[in-house]
Amino acid sequence: MADQHDQHDHPITYKTYFITWVWLLVLTALALGLGYTNIDERLKAFLLVCTTLAKILVIAAVFMHLRYERINLILITFAPLVLAVILFSFTFPETLGNATHVLRVR
Amino acid sequence: MESSVAEQQRILSSDWGGGKSPFGTSWSKFMMWIFIISDALTFAAFLITYGFMRGISPAWPKQTEVFNMVLITFMTFMLISSSAVMAMAVAAARAKQPKLAVQFLALTILGGLIFLGCQAYEWTNLIEEGARLTHNPWGVPQFSAAFFVITGFHGFHVFSGVTILAIVALRAAMGKYSADGVENAGLYWHFVDVVWVFVFAFFYLL
Repeated sequence: MADQHDQHDHPITYKTYFITWVWLLVLTALALGLGYTNIDERLKAFLLVCTTLAKILVIAAVFMHLRYERINLILITFAPLVLAVILFSFTFPETLGNATHVLRVR
Repeated sequence: MESSVAEQQRILSSDWGGGKSPFGTSWSKFMMWIFIISDALTFAAFLITYGFMRGISPAWPKQTEVFNMVLITFMTFMLISSSAVMAMAVAAARAKQPKLAVQFLALTILGGLIFLGCQAYEWTNLIEEGARLTHNPWGVPQFSAAFFVITGFHGFHVFSGVTILAIVALRAAMGKYSADGVENAGLYWHFVDVVWVFVFAFFYLL
């Protein structure tokens, strides 16, 4: 019942969804452009992470109505992102040159 | 007797008495969120494993030479558009306009089906070129392994989503209509879109 109450407090109009859709397409075009530019791979990766995060924040906030939810529900949705960063930072350094047990083809 | 009823009321209305919904949602929506979070962890593990495999590979095929990027961009467009239409279906369901909700749901399903069709076409092309789970013509076996596993899992999520939305649309058309049900199905559909945003950026563009 509580969510119904929240929805009635913040009815999102079709126009808002349309504008959000346009913004998502703009961000997709931006990501696509980044994919084709010849810049440093690390900078490209960083910028792609930024556009991707911007896109998922827009989808979660508007389409998934997360901006109208309670802060504790919003916070638990960040759990996968935080855990992914931990998993990535524990595994990816192993692929760099100075790792001692990188897989090598003999 | 009366005092025990009053006591029960007092406990239920206290912060930790169980009478409140700590997350401010219905239980079904909260369970959907818990499911989405656990499913997101699955995809996070896939994408990080892919990053690791790519990191240890001495080379990685250039995606623009392997994939038809126009098709991939069109698939992305379809999924984002269907997500937007899905959000409108939820708004229509909330506004107690079941007919409009069913129309929006039908468009969402159509978007999902077009996406799946494109993916089937893409898989067929790559398989005909010799790509398998264990080897491929582009030299790095991990490349096709990551491709088939990640897009396969995502594709199956899209397929499940289309099935769920079809059931929801059918029920709405029959008048067995609940705005909460439409919203929960919508949350799942948006999640499928979110996963594709990651796959598109990190697998196809990076």
